[in-house]
Amino acid sequence: MKKFIQSMILIVALTMLLAGVSRAADEVSITKDLTAVITLLGLPCGKVVSVVKKGDNDHIASCENGNRYRVFLNAKGRVVAEKQ
Amino acid sequence: MKSFLLLVGLLLVFAMTMDCYAIDFERSKVNTTQEESIAVDSVDLPTMPSTTPSNVRGIDKPPAKVPAAEPVKKKDSSTPGLGKNATPPSLDLPSLEKRLRETKAIGVFTKITLKNQVDDLVDQFREYHRGQVKITLAELRQRYDMLLLKLLSLLQDSDPTLANTIVASREAIWGVLTDPSKLQPFKPTAGETI
Repeated sequence: MKKFIQSMILIVALTMLLAGVSRAADEVSITKDLTAVITLLGLPCGKVVSVVKKGDNDHIASCENGNRYRVFLNAKGRVVAEKQ
Repeated sequence: MKSFLLLVGLLLVFAMTMDCYAIDFERSKVNTTQEESIAVDSVDLPTMPSTTPSNVRGIDKPPAKVPAAEPVKKKDSSTPGLGKNATPPSLDLPSLEKRLRETKAIGVFTKITLKNQVDDLVDQFREYHRGQVKITLAELRQRYDMLLLKLLSLLQDSDPTLANTIVASREAIWGVLTDPSKLQPFKPTAGETI
């Protein structure tokens, strides 16, 4: 029985780990997306290292060079990057 | 028996994880092998020479001197099976637009930003044709090339096929932009969702 519980704990731990990996993959895609947006807009950034979601289509992106931008979709349907 | 089932469960979880990693690895491997050919296409496109101070000052140079058309001609002539009188590849803009919308190589924000920039450029071409702006065709060509390079740099790793199609359609799209009668049917798609 003890063995069974230990194995169950191991499985749960592994599942949680995999869920974490999956979430990280999502974050990678948004960081990549925002990196591309900031680059397309011609703003100095390098690579986006972290993203904080503020709302729908509204994110704060932190760049590797220390800059921070609020990237959002404005009322006219344009993607805007505002330096914070 | 219980231990056996647990072992099988663990193996399944492990196999799923490795499968995910393997897919990513295969994708990156394919991209790496195709990257070189795309990169060559991008390098071949001479966009930089037109950024001369004279252009910035607005001195209108004949658009025929824009060197961007030359590499494409060279490429065509060196392609086996295509003679000197080979026609440029037919342009299917709606299909190209659909593929750009559906590609997973670019994120949603990037797609919207690109669409904004394409719309801006098309607007500049319309104004140019109406004679409303003091912009030269050489400057428009430069902007067009820059936008295309940005797009190609985004696509070449994850969707090389689409990148190749765009490279092949480069001159055809330019032909549409520079011809007011061809450009007129393409109305701005403001407010359209991606």
